[in-house]
Amino acid sequence: MCDVDFFDSRIIEGTATSIILDNGKIEEISVNYTRGVGVRALCGGSWGFTSADGDFDLQKAIRASSELAHGMDLRTPKNKVELSPISMPVLKDIPRVKIDPMDIPIEDKVQFLKDIGDHAKTDGVSSTTAVYSESSLKVQYSSSEDVECEYELMHTGFAISAVATQNGAYQAGRESRFGVCGYELFEKYDAFALAVSAGKTAVELLGAKQAKGGNMPVILDPELAGVFAHEAVGHASEADLVLEGSSVLENKIGEQIASPLVSVIDDPTLHEYGYYPFDAEGVQSTGTTIIKDGMMESYLHSRETAACLGGTAGHSRAQGYSMPIVRMSNTYIDNGDSKFGEMLEDIGDGMYLIGSRGGQVNTGEGVFQFNAEKGYLIENGELTTLLRDVSLSGNTLEILKNINMVGNDLTMHSGRCGKNGQIAPVTDGSPHILITKALVGGA
Amino acid sequence: MYEIAQKALALAMKNGADEADIYYVNSHSTSADIRKNAIEGAKEQFAEGIGIRAIVDGAVGFASTNIPDRLDDAVRIAVNSARVRESDPDWTALPSSEKYPGVSGTFDKRIVQMDLDECIDLALQMIEGANEGLNNGILATSGSFSRSHGKHLILNSNGVEVEEEGTSTSGFIDVITTQGDVATAYDFNVSRNLDIDFFQIGVNAAKLAQGSQNGISIKPHKTDVILHPFAFSDLIESAFAPSIDADNVQKGRSSLIGRLGEKLASSKLNIIDDGLMPNGIDTGISDDEGVPSKRTPVIENGVFKSYLYDSYTAGKEGVKSTGNASRHGYVSTPSVGLRNFIIEYPQSDIVSDTKNGVFVNTVIGAHTANAISGDFSVEARNAYIIRDGQIDTPVKSLMISGNIFEMLRNITGAGMDVRKVGGIVTPSIRVSGMSVIG
Repeated sequence: MCDVDFFDSRIIEGTATSIILDNGKIEEISVNYTRGVGVRALCGGSWGFTSADGDFDLQKAIRASSELAHGMDLRTPKNKVELSPISMPVLKDIPRVKIDPMDIPIEDKVQFLKDIGDHAKTDGVSSTTAVYSESSLKVQYSSSEDVECEYELMHTGFAISAVATQNGAYQAGRESRFGVCGYELFEKYDAFALAVSAGKTAVELLGAKQAKGGNMPVILDPELAGVFAHEAVGHASEADLVLEGSSVLENKIGEQIASPLVSVIDDPTLHEYGYYPFDAEGVQSTGTTIIKDGMMESYLHSRETAACLGGTAGHSRAQGYSMPIVRMSNTYIDNGDSKFGEMLEDIGDGMYLIGSRGGQVNTGEGVFQFNAEKGYLIENGELTTLLRDVSLSGNTLEILKNINMVGNDLTMHSGRCGKNGQIAPVTDGSPHILITKALVGGA
Repeated sequence: MYEIAQKALALAMKNGADEADIYYVNSHSTSADIRKNAIEGAKEQFAEGIGIRAIVDGAVGFASTNIPDRLDDAVRIAVNSARVRESDPDWTALPSSEKYPGVSGTFDKRIVQMDLDECIDLALQMIEGANEGLNNGILATSGSFSRSHGKHLILNSNGVEVEEEGTSTSGFIDVITTQGDVATAYDFNVSRNLDIDFFQIGVNAAKLAQGSQNGISIKPHKTDVILHPFAFSDLIESAFAPSIDADNVQKGRSSLIGRLGEKLASSKLNIIDDGLMPNGIDTGISDDEGVPSKRTPVIENGVFKSYLYDSYTAGKEGVKSTGNASRHGYVSTPSVGLRNFIIEYPQSDIVSDTKNGVFVNTVIGAHTANAISGDFSVEARNAYIIRDGQIDTPVKSLMISGNIFEMLRNITGAGMDVRKVGGIVTPSIRVSGMSVIG
């Protein structure tokens, strides 16, 4: 075997089930059994990575990965990569499954999903889709530094979407909840009420007006503000992006980059959808405060970036047995002490943006664009006209400074985040926030 | 591989399936990854797995696995899942065996045989391109060269047996300026053959980033916008493609319901879905459930001619499948997807032909478009003002918004610069009267 400085392996085994309902009919029932391994090897400044499906030979995979690392290091020698020290992770407070979804007959799940779909079909809704998913996962980590650990985790969730049609116009309403838990998810969330709410949103958006774009003061609801925390702040604080020169937050540690009202935290120990007990490098998970009272406090680190920039590792994640990269987990803007009513009073005229249809960010230049699900015009401190197809764009650092009220109603929303082609379960959260000036796009 | 797939098919029928199909894939890919002007590492992936679709009384069940020991379980659960569902009266049948057309340019032996050294060389070429002749004001922040070689096998109980082998390579690079104003840009290219100029990918990205420095703001107005193939294909994929998917149409989720034969666009515009295009990214003798690939005019001389179908949606409507069944690997059931999607419009030196306007290289946020109404509002990146037929000042921040169907009606020109952006093949497209907000 080639001489390498370090190697580790992650063996992942899992079963995933999903049921898709379309207009009250089952569109798909699908089950996947998967097993595979991802092996990293480090030689000098070069990483090798090998992944293999099914009945792999672990020693062979370690050899292949080591050969890649070795070959790269010979061809393109670079500064030696250091890894921050690691200790054996201690598993504590792992989410316990109260109702194992595997114990619920598939027929019952199908019926329940149909009931959810029926609730979304409020007056005026022309079609609905609903998705249920459950997955159980077993992760075994081991490394050349003799760290060995494993955990099992269950993810359960559902998503519902309703479409309303009128005179050739279409509008959609969506709700979803996912968590690190079993079937008890449906005790925590009222799926029927959420379905009704998705239906109502679709119908009311039919009557909504097009937003008129421009610069103005805005209030973001917790979901959209959470997307801002994740997309604009969280991604730019990923230390791999900082190191490659792709982050507007480079060299900002210790600097006041946001209004003193703003604190942003990423915490994988919370029992939310982004939870993990140890990361993809076997590092025990801990919460990281990214921004504390407006001051840039820390990036999110892997062992490599932590050793390079100084910091605490524990934010490496991977989709299945892909190559681990620096990722977020449960990212949120912490509570302030303002009330929503006070924000309306303070803003006078502006716009209230609600929910999210996704967004994108350019972390290097620090610019972002998000589409809200809907909005309201605010006139004289009152919510007036309902608006559709509104988007928010701007410069991350400017927006952070322009936040002049932070609510006390922190709410988390589960979702999925893509980076380098890998999808990871995450949660974003925030209370309501008021931004004195932001660019709102309309049609 | 043929034996395993045959065994799974026989087992599904034995377990009581009326029909069944098997999708088996086996692939090997290698990549060399760039970070900060250097090669960071190399990745190698060996993937192999099998998906089983079982039909009982018109209801479909599906399971997949990459664990040989679980194959029997997977087959059983696929059949059982089908039994749980009510019969679907719209189900007709899985495709039957047919004669398959020939295709070209989908396999390059050089890609199969490529070793790690060659992968490193090609990745280095992109970095060298990015740093060429610019006095090093550019940093290649990230990027990757990759090569892939794969085989798949489709078998079904109606006699379909399709085995195909293919290759592909791709390169992408992200760059940022390191002197003066901060600007970023990217470029990428993908091909089934080893014919990409990787050096040029680096050059393009670097030029674009440098050209975008010191951008100005502009007032909101309506103007001619030229969309580079990257920008135009993003909008087509997110805002237009969902409307021609027969599944969306049948479920009432499309603005194009009942509009076949209607004039949707300028009579100079043609859009063709073509599973047979030589060297095409999405070219193959069949689609992902074994229906022979074909060429389907979607818009012909501005007139809307066809939706896209897989065998289920086609059966439901009593028409023939257009060969658009598409799978995301072995873990998913087929659904309607684009093949090579070709945009044609009379070409010219489009920038010179445009007195005043804006040129947009890429957009971010296209996936947030309203897939039904076609409304979108996206952030334009690497945008420039066009003045008197020439690329002029860069624009710092720009939102463009509109509606894809309105856009199709307002196309007034196309460039000479046809690109394969994944499966979407398009030149730069000029659209008049678009809203821009700076």
